[in-house]
Amino acid sequence: MIRHPKTIDASALPTEGFGVASSTWWGTLGFMVIEGSTLVLCAMAYTYLSRRSPLWPPSGTPLPSLLIGTVVVAVLLVSLVPAFLLHRAAKRMDRGAVLLLLLIGAVVEAIVIVLRAYELHALPMRWDGTAYGSTVWFTLGAHTTLLVLDFGESLVFGVLFLKGPIAKRHFADVADSAMYWFFIVLTWVPLYFMLYVSPHLF
Amino acid sequence: MTAAVAERDTLARTWGTRRGVVGWLTTVDHKTIGLRFIGTALFFLALGGALALMMRTQLARPDNHLLSPQLYNQFFTMHGTTMMFLFAVPAMMGLGVYLVPLMIGTRNVIFPRLLAYAYWVYLFGGLFLYSGLLTGNGPPAGWFSYTPLSESMFDPTKGSDIWAQTITYTEVSMLGVAVTLIITILKQRAPGMSLNRIPLFVWSMLVTSFMVVFAMTTIATASMMLAADRLINTRFFVEPAGGDPLLWQHFFWLFGHPEVYIIFLPATGLMSHLITTFSRRPVFGYTAIVFATIATGIISFGVWVHHMFATGLPQLGLSFFTASSLIVTIPTAIQLFCWIATLWSGRPQWRVPLLFVLGFFFILVRGGLTGIMLASVPFDLQTHDTFFVVGHLHDVLIGGAVFPLLGALFYWYPKFTGRMPSEIAGRWAFALIFIGQNLTFFPMHILGLHGMPRRTYTYLASTGWGTLNQLETIGSYILALGVLVTVANLILSAFRGRMAGDNPWGAETLEWATASPPPPGNFVLLPVVGSRAPNWDQRPDDRPVVTGLPLDRREVLFTTALDAVPARRIELPGPSAWTLVAAVGTTIGLVMLIFNPWGLVVAALLAAAPFIAWAWPKADGSS
Repeated sequence: MIRHPKTIDASALPTEGFGVASSTWWGTLGFMVIEGSTLVLCAMAYTYLSRRSPLWPPSGTPLPSLLIGTVVVAVLLVSLVPAFLLHRAAKRMDRGAVLLLLLIGAVVEAIVIVLRAYELHALPMRWDGTAYGSTVWFTLGAHTTLLVLDFGESLVFGVLFLKGPIAKRHFADVADSAMYWFFIVLTWVPLYFMLYVSPHLF
Repeated sequence: MTAAVAERDTLARTWGTRRGVVGWLTTVDHKTIGLRFIGTALFFLALGGALALMMRTQLARPDNHLLSPQLYNQFFTMHGTTMMFLFAVPAMMGLGVYLVPLMIGTRNVIFPRLLAYAYWVYLFGGLFLYSGLLTGNGPPAGWFSYTPLSESMFDPTKGSDIWAQTITYTEVSMLGVAVTLIITILKQRAPGMSLNRIPLFVWSMLVTSFMVVFAMTTIATASMMLAADRLINTRFFVEPAGGDPLLWQHFFWLFGHPEVYIIFLPATGLMSHLITTFSRRPVFGYTAIVFATIATGIISFGVWVHHMFATGLPQLGLSFFTASSLIVTIPTAIQLFCWIATLWSGRPQWRVPLLFVLGFFFILVRGGLTGIMLASVPFDLQTHDTFFVVGHLHDVLIGGAVFPLLGALFYWYPKFTGRMPSEIAGRWAFALIFIGQNLTFFPMHILGLHGMPRRTYTYLASTGWGTLNQLETIGSYILALGVLVTVANLILSAFRGRMAGDNPWGAETLEWATASPPPPGNFVLLPVVGSRAPNWDQRPDDRPVVTGLPLDRREVLFTTALDAVPARRIELPGPSAWTLVAAVGTTIGLVMLIFNPWGLVVAALLAAAPFIAWAWPKADGSS
């Protein structure tokens, strides 16, 4: 090794880290900003078109079922509990608990996706009738894509923790995945109000 | 074998790209990928330029029928789309990909495989757009693809579908690059490179990348809505069903105006480096330039309606956007005065890159001034859709982005190749491009004031516009000749140029503190920074470095976002074939999506499987 006049010795620095010290955390954050912006744009299209239209929803269009929408959002909010526990277990690096909570999370996500499919099926309008129908379907579709994506990710992590070689950084990745689920659930709350509640108020 | 040579060999084994086709296809080296972005962008510049020459030839004389109206529509759409989406932004981002890790003193970007994927998706997206033109399905509705012109009822071909899908490709690509650059800049800077020591080009790339995240998301979402309108009959932009064509314009320009600054801000970063190096003094007003860059980034999201003055929006709203459009010139003016002050108080060396800086000043300032004219609603209403606007936008984009880019290619060429480009050929190229640009685009302002409409394939002899148009056409060929001389210079100098050495221009920043071209892993030992100008403030044998990073693993330092204090070591992933497989999968799905909505599912599945494969750990836990 050549001798240099002033050096910083990096050999003692940690090689793992959670949160801001994890590259996945930053990547997830970037993804959340992009996906969050997409959902904001959906909301912009919905509100813009509603302001341009004398009647919103257009006359003769029935409103989507408040009951079904509320059930989905309630289940989503309940699903934050296993996500929260998963985040904690990942930070403790408790492999058994992480595996169990990943499986529970995947089951909950599967339930949410089935409910969402029913929610779409029960919508009283098609996407190709009016611009109102288009925005409702597009917003629900954009959010459903995120649900399916996270469900797939949970399954992959489940298999990894069941079979794969696990490094410490995978616990950080699972913690970030749990954070992402929080993002998916919490972004839906204002969109739920927009799609299901606001037509009753305004 | 000395210790230094041994270290270099170990680094080359760890960070090097394998020889042969496999190595070529799987590389994740930011330098290789950055140069590929730049090279591919220049290839698309040539294609877009060829289209422009054909349009200029068509307009050279009145009543000309070289191009049919339909083909002319497709050509100007393809020209604009190519120059904005396939040339300007990827070229700037490619320079960022190459230079940022070198300038901040690290070995590679944080997500090298995402970067490789982004490049392939960009390449396939560009080729896909041209496959449309070659099969008679060129998009005809302008680079902005205004609804209802781009809706199925007015464009029953696949042209607008291909346009919308190309947008998806390029946005996926640019979003991947932007996120990678943001995190790399925030978390991988050399120890000591606190926020107030970041090189100005890196600052400009940071702001630009944030703008890409918000602006590109907007256009990607809007183009998905347009594609849905065409494919599954959604009604977002269809008036009788409660949709609104103006919603498209709002979304498009909410992206489209920041897009101009996404191209311009990196150019300002390049300008700061060229001016500093060739003025032989630190830049005047570093802090002011940084704040001006950030301010431009933010304000540029609040000016989009000035593209829509002629759409009948409420007057009060228009005054707001006139005001914001005037305000956005202030930070640019601040930067200009800082650069002039740097040149004024320095000892300017009139090398080729600095000539391009002068060209920038002259043409961009003219474009800025006509921009101020256009920000005024009454003036805009008179000149809207005339050649005045064409002259203005080419002054801004060629003066504001292409001149700095060409200067930058000349300036960093020794770093890319290890050889110097020809100074004489560079001067000829500059002269031809400068004369050609002015001859082509200045008369357009006059023609615009005389009422010559844009996007019309010919004009009558009785209008009297023939002479100026002929002059413009001659100018465009001179401009093209200048670009050809530049390209020939860049190609020939790679073989015949004189050897450059590490720092041929005597520049201040870290990319010049390593070999030309930089070795695999960039630096033998990662640098530590104590000032804004490490090369000027420390002798090469007295520069502090980082030790203790294993050279036989792809490890880099993760530092804190504000002060760049070392926080941890992080191992970056190595080469992978899955990046290319995922890009091919994405391409197959997106092409299918033009014909069938299930293409979305195919794209997701075909991209997701390789993504999982590339992220799956090896038996030893590494990637």
